[in-house]
Amino acid sequence: MTSGWEKIRNQLDQVSKPGRYIGEEFNTRIKEGSDTDLRVALAFPDLYEIGLSHLGLRILYELINSQPEMVAERVYAPWPDFQELLRHSGAVLYSLESKRDLNRFDVIGFSLQYELSYTNVLTILDLAGIPLSSRERGSSREYPLIIGGGPCTFNPEPVAEFFDFFIIGEAEDVLIPVLEKVHTWKNDLNAGDKDSLLLELAQMPGVYVPSHFEVGYHPNGKIARIENKTGDRPIRAVVRDFDHAFFPQQWIVPYLDIAHDRVAYEIQRGCTRGCRFCQAGMIYRPVRERTPERVMKGLESLIAGTGYEELSLTSLSSADYSRISELLESACGCFTPQKVNVSLPSLRVDSFSVDLAKRFQSNRKASLTFAPEAGTDRLRRVINKGVTEDDLMQATNAAFRAGWQKLKLYFMIGLPTETEEDLAGIANLAGEVLRLGRQIYPRSGGLRVTVSVSTFVPKPHTPFQWRPQISLTEIEQKQNYLKERLRGRFLEFNWHDPQTSRLEGVFSRGDRRLSTVIRRAWEGGAQFDGWSEQFRYQVWMNAMDAAGLNPDFYTGSREYDEILPWSHLESGVDPEFLKLEDTRATAGLPTQDCRQYSCSACGVCSRLGVSKDLAGEIHG
Amino acid sequence: MAEFRMEFMKTGNLKYLSHLELIRALERAARRSRLPMEHSEGYHPHPKLSFGPALALGIASTSEYFDVGLGREMEPASIQNSLNQVLPESLRITAAGRLNEPVIPLNALINRAAYRIELTMVPQSLPGVKADLAAIISKQELVVSRNTKTGQKMVNIRPLLHNLTMVETSEDPGDRAHVLFVFDISGEIGNNGNLRPDEITGLIKQPLTVSGITRIGLWREERGMIIKPMDLCVQRPKIQ
Repeated sequence: MTSGWEKIRNQLDQVSKPGRYIGEEFNTRIKEGSDTDLRVALAFPDLYEIGLSHLGLRILYELINSQPEMVAERVYAPWPDFQELLRHSGAVLYSLESKRDLNRFDVIGFSLQYELSYTNVLTILDLAGIPLSSRERGSSREYPLIIGGGPCTFNPEPVAEFFDFFIIGEAEDVLIPVLEKVHTWKNDLNAGDKDSLLLELAQMPGVYVPSHFEVGYHPNGKIARIENKTGDRPIRAVVRDFDHAFFPQQWIVPYLDIAHDRVAYEIQRGCTRGCRFCQAGMIYRPVRERTPERVMKGLESLIAGTGYEELSLTSLSSADYSRISELLESACGCFTPQKVNVSLPSLRVDSFSVDLAKRFQSNRKASLTFAPEAGTDRLRRVINKGVTEDDLMQATNAAFRAGWQKLKLYFMIGLPTETEEDLAGIANLAGEVLRLGRQIYPRSGGLRVTVSVSTFVPKPHTPFQWRPQISLTEIEQKQNYLKERLRGRFLEFNWHDPQTSRLEGVFSRGDRRLSTVIRRAWEGGAQFDGWSEQFRYQVWMNAMDAAGLNPDFYTGSREYDEILPWSHLESGVDPEFLKLEDTRATAGLPTQDCRQYSCSACGVCSRLGVSKDLAGEIHG
Repeated sequence: MAEFRMEFMKTGNLKYLSHLELIRALERAARRSRLPMEHSEGYHPHPKLSFGPALALGIASTSEYFDVGLGREMEPASIQNSLNQVLPESLRITAAGRLNEPVIPLNALINRAAYRIELTMVPQSLPGVKADLAAIISKQELVVSRNTKTGQKMVNIRPLLHNLTMVETSEDPGDRAHVLFVFDISGEIGNNGNLRPDEITGLIKQPLTVSGITRIGLWREERGMIIKPMDLCVQRPKIQ
């Protein structure tokens, strides 16, 4: 049979940016492989430019390809024009490396980063001619195993029926043992069907087989029970020795201008700040650092092997890295003469971070971003964002004085206990920062303070997992309130689309009944829902109606004693700690950072058998 | 500072790269090569490469050019070799030379381009295709509609087309029911307008598939003189 690629290869000039679909990037790994090798397609349910920007899949791609009897290839969600070309030509979606039809892989592994990319999972499966649900695929060996990873697997219930299993947590140390089992099974036809393989895999850390659990509901829609049919205990996988954990030594260099077009080296995993709304801050605990020596050695070979003009020292909070000054000094010393820009994402709101930025950021025309998250000291105490108005004024003062004229401030609306005073606080802070900028640059026309406001989405496994999300009307009212107060020269106001935030809220804490909704909305044409030009809210609302489900039910508040859709999934963080944190939030009590102060007893170290691991002494 | 000219091919699937994507790929390869590149000024310094006329997305090429400034004198062949070691397979430097000074930039130099066009069709369509091509070359005026920034515009493209040569007809190796028909066109590129191969194939009224277009030449033609881009490099004495 003619492969999908053969059918369309001469027609690619009909689609926008055909470079997305040709592969052949520098450092791409093309392994021939044999029939007995395990072939894994790593799928990212969004455009190429987004998918190739994602560090996690780059790690797994190199990790799998470093195994002699395994092959990893890539596939991204194609834009609608390319989907049309495939369907029109009767072609199956293919992998970028060997241009093999996707249904000829043994495993398709999806990276689930964002709830509004779920429909793209269905598009990819459909374009590969693979039945959408695990049940439809049956227990035979006919179809590839469909597996999922990434942060959304901490509550994958809305997409549970489409997957055979998930890997929850950090895959570096568990993925290869899991794939080895699949590999053995593949080559032993007497080893039973898919169900028997899943029974075996379910015993491994990180593996969650949704079909081993049955969920029952109360008439009011709440969960009555999550029945465990096999005795599995899905628990998050964790990397214990992060310094030695696998990190790519090769780096694919795209032709296209992708979202994050640079070498990104992960210097630390986890964050100790303990912001109560932040899922990443909970599910990547405890904090673990790589040594600066390892980071530098890795970067030198990656820069030499890619020709990249920019590198980034990434983590959830890079300014917290214990030897950040030293690392930054080495990186700038080594790479600035090579004309490679060094960057540090996620600056803290303090003058220390501005001092760091002064060292690597020679371009003061670019903007500097701070995330106070809330408008008043009170609300920042509630969310445990240990930043005061004084901190912000000091940091912005330092930034202006160092030569930056464009500052960005990130805030959230709809946080628990928010009042009008907190909203007014956002406008006041922006006004104060602008006033300061005007004092320092009285005659400059280039001054700019940009305020970006997103809407709080309660996330599973966080202290705020029981809290409600504000309604669509409230989102609009609050945004309008701010629009009126954030007008004027030098001020810019950006906000997130309210309907998008609401749908994120529905799926973030959704249950298995939403699978029907996703499927129906997808059948109704929903896809690329995170892209404003593709997003069709009404299609989603119709699908919810048809399934007899109400979005308010999902965005509403939950009880402490209620069974949550993710109650059977162990993140390592003690649910009692989450409750305590939530009550401390109401009381406005801060919880200290375990990097510098005593342990806050979140439970992750003892429950997962892992410990905090710093590369050096802590700094201020 | 020493200026060099590279001739390169862009083949296979990389024909689907846009001009900007191609430039970025070559700039990154230049950085990987560790050659002593001259860099642009500013906050985002990049290697100084200057290119000739852009190649439309979807068209392959056997003769593209770029100029590069190096901080010191080097053997052109060793530059070629260093770059080829770090280029993707479908981008190959095929010739390199040290430019005479003052350097005439590629865009100021080049005013002619040639393309090879491959068509597949059922054998019955072949006579019609040949007749259409003969008609194209015999006409004084060929008016097509072009999309411009200010909307649609009717353009006479006949003056842009200088030559049309039928090259060969053969059995399509992939499909015995079809024939492969190859012809070359050449004409204007640059300030006096651009000959576009897709506009020429669009004038053929038979059912067919355009299975490939390749740019096979870029040069300057002035008062009957032909200058190829590599002709402006230092001629090395021939060893007898």
